[in-house]
Amino acid sequence: MFTIRRRNFVIGSSAFLALGIGQNGLAQPAPSMTPHEMELYNAAKEEGGELTWYTAHSDDITAQALGRSFESTYPGVKVNVLRTTAQVAYQRVTQEIKASAVQCDVFSSTDIGHSVELKAKGALEKYIPENASKVLDIYKGYDPDGYYFVTSAGLIGIGYNTAKVKAADAPKNWTDLLDPKWNNNIALGHPGFSGYVGTWALTLRNQYGWQFFEKLAKNNPRVGRSINDTVTMLNAGESAIAGCGPVGTLLESVQKGNPLAIVYPTDGSVLILAPSSIMKGSKHPNAARLFMEFLMSKEASQIWVDHFNESIRPEISPPKGARSAKDLKTIRPTVAEITKGIPEVIKQWRETFGV
Amino acid sequence: MTDKSLDDRTLHFSGVASRLRRLDASMLLWLALIALLAFLVLNPILRLIISSLQETDTGRFTFANYRVAYGNVRHLQALTNSLELGIGVALLATCFAVPIAWAISRTDMPGKAFVRLMVFAAFVTPPYLGAIGWILLAGPNSGWLNKVWMALTGAGHGIFNIYSMTGLILVVAVTSFPYTFVFTSSALDLVSSEMEDAANILGARTLRTTLRITLPLVTPAIIGGIIISFLEAIALFGAPALIALPARFNVVSTQLWQFFEYPVRVEEAAAYAMPLLAITVLMFWLQRSLLGRKGYTSVTGKGGERRMIALGRWRWAMLGYALFVCALSVFLPMLVLLQAAFAKAWGRGFSIDNLTFHNFYYLLVEQTQAKQTILNTFVYSAVTAFAAISLSLAIAYVVSRKLVPWSNVLAFLCVAPFVIPGIVLAIGFYAAYAPPPLALYGTATILILGFTTRFLPIAYTSSAAGLRSINPEMEEAVRILGGSRLLAIRKVLIPLLKKSLAGAWILVFIPATRELSSAIFLVGPHTRVISVMLFDLSEEGNFEVLSALGVILLIATVAIAGIGYRVIGRDFMLRRN
Repeated sequence: MFTIRRRNFVIGSSAFLALGIGQNGLAQPAPSMTPHEMELYNAAKEEGGELTWYTAHSDDITAQALGRSFESTYPGVKVNVLRTTAQVAYQRVTQEIKASAVQCDVFSSTDIGHSVELKAKGALEKYIPENASKVLDIYKGYDPDGYYFVTSAGLIGIGYNTAKVKAADAPKNWTDLLDPKWNNNIALGHPGFSGYVGTWALTLRNQYGWQFFEKLAKNNPRVGRSINDTVTMLNAGESAIAGCGPVGTLLESVQKGNPLAIVYPTDGSVLILAPSSIMKGSKHPNAARLFMEFLMSKEASQIWVDHFNESIRPEISPPKGARSAKDLKTIRPTVAEITKGIPEVIKQWRETFGV
Repeated sequence: MTDKSLDDRTLHFSGVASRLRRLDASMLLWLALIALLAFLVLNPILRLIISSLQETDTGRFTFANYRVAYGNVRHLQALTNSLELGIGVALLATCFAVPIAWAISRTDMPGKAFVRLMVFAAFVTPPYLGAIGWILLAGPNSGWLNKVWMALTGAGHGIFNIYSMTGLILVVAVTSFPYTFVFTSSALDLVSSEMEDAANILGARTLRTTLRITLPLVTPAIIGGIIISFLEAIALFGAPALIALPARFNVVSTQLWQFFEYPVRVEEAAAYAMPLLAITVLMFWLQRSLLGRKGYTSVTGKGGERRMIALGRWRWAMLGYALFVCALSVFLPMLVLLQAAFAKAWGRGFSIDNLTFHNFYYLLVEQTQAKQTILNTFVYSAVTAFAAISLSLAIAYVVSRKLVPWSNVLAFLCVAPFVIPGIVLAIGFYAAYAPPPLALYGTATILILGFTTRFLPIAYTSSAAGLRSINPEMEEAVRILGGSRLLAIRKVLIPLLKKSLAGAWILVFIPATRELSSAIFLVGPHTRVISVMLFDLSEEGNFEVLSALGVILLIATVAIAGIGYRVIGRDFMLRRN
């Protein structure tokens, strides 16, 4: 009796599933595809019409918007968008590699060291997108062998809640965060989760030594996980200062009417270059290639700009009210420094902050 | 004459050959069941223990994993933090649960049905959802309680800080006290008033009688509750991840999670998980030796006359206390979760222009994963409940009718997962079944198998209790009239057990829908469940969407439990039949 019931239940629910998936199978593709895209698109539809994208490049809202835009540009190819922090995404991917069951097709971390490690282990698939030559020069050619490409970029500055802090009192540079007046009032992310925070911490370690963080710990900051959590804490009024403020998410929040403002530190905003790559063993190689093309397309850059992030294409101008990386003083570590430095920084962070 | 003795006699007369034949058939059944249990329970745990003693790449024997796992002050600190958390939660949950259980079971406190319902609501609420509610309530600067405090007193900062050990203990205690409540109240329901009467006649007042007679009589139940809430607390992952991290301390479960960061160190994680296993085994041993020596014979199940104690004016004080606990565990967190779920920005408060359905729209329309995730959660939980109950019913039947030799081994294996923390079980499952040859990583199968194992003890306890209540005579009648055992099971046993099986189904289903700690290492991108999605979303602290997803989870769970309640027609969890 129970087996029958269970079987019915499974059949019923799979029918429900199939119906859900079938919804967007009938729409027509956009007419402006290049022959190369068309080829990938047709092959992608044939191999199952879906792909799984692990991304840490943005908040969930922007990531979902990119996924939906891809789906409407290439109807019939579905993207499963999994937004987590970079280290969590990397943890899941390495777990999959260890179990020889790679589920992820396109992997977008914000810690470029991940790409270097995965490439060295032979876990990435080589593919040079046609669009790779069309991005701004600063984002070109980080891996001449063609295993990973910078597909988004972002700035880290200092954010503050204007209801709690006057513009004149706000920190002007990174070392201002050490002022005791910000005791209990700074929000941070965690380098053990967020790739942005890891790169930020490494940049400041290069600049001021680890003592900077030992002093910062005395101000008893509130440590979250994702870098975007600092913006949530500002909006909620839990913290007055976002010690590592993701500029894109901050600007988007300002536009929604939250009382926030941004400081571009005089000693330099931290510039993050975030790479994407195709996993070796991907079961949807053509969909993955098509998605790599999409990530470096004008359309994708337009969505990034709509959500107040950097554009990597010259054709798309920066969002209103935002300053672009090319007009600012920016600082960042080299790829080699990141690969070696972020694991060190995570360790030091755990010793200094206790978590 | 019973079935068994008949069989025995036949055996005596029919010589060695047929005896062997009969043994073979039952042996086969025993082997099949034990193989299944070995697959589900023994192998993952053995793999865990073995890999804790292996070198990562070569698989050679080593103690290095233990050295690495315990060679760090922070790792040891996490261990003592977990103990502090467990003890704190166990004590606080007892303070919450025992007075309410006593008031409901033994006194004339008003509003009993309502309080019971609220305890049930607390049982349905996952701890991580309670934690989100309490972050909104008692965030040091932005929490509602602190804002009210600051508005009332004009103080510059609030008085509650959820990001602390005390805060974590409170959050876990308000969601785990129902366990102690259920244990205590069902034991109290069986204590007759005779001994209390004796104490009263000898001059003791109500309070003294309660403290010296009634409560000591149910000590085993209270200790059982303490142990369960202790174990729940140290094995929990979600609530500590949300609260302990910003509070800047680690507990064992969050530390275990770090071993899964790159490079994945399953072996060190296994070594580090061993104390959790040891503590749980120790707790159960302690319980046995503590209770073994004394007699608690008043709890016979027969029960004499029971009268409710008249509390007079104090009954309102009791109700006040019960409502206070309900406020901490249900009213306050639910209020702020609902507010956040329907808010554009929860910090803007309760106003019309802050009201929106967009969080639900986002989840159900814009998010590419949420629909699939919600569906997964309920399908997996339902399948898990069926699987766990089918298996445990088969084993309970074999054990209670003594169809095979050494049936107690089967019973023991069924309840053994009870002492394995979910996160440890998941690591064992990952080590045993994620890689080839089975290569179950990312499949629904590994999640359902993991959940089935995790909740097998609940299913087994319920099925065994149900079977005990049925006299074998009725099956024997079928067999005497020529029917097979299967016919007897199908036509007699299952119909008779229908209600208690439905109850057991719900008891497995509800915790399965909210299970996080064993899911976190077993999910793949296509097999995500709500608890894991909540955990991922919580990284960004997007509380509005989180709350909306939590509300969806709660409504669906309560609806299914409600249907179950209608089917079985009684309060399946909180009352003995």
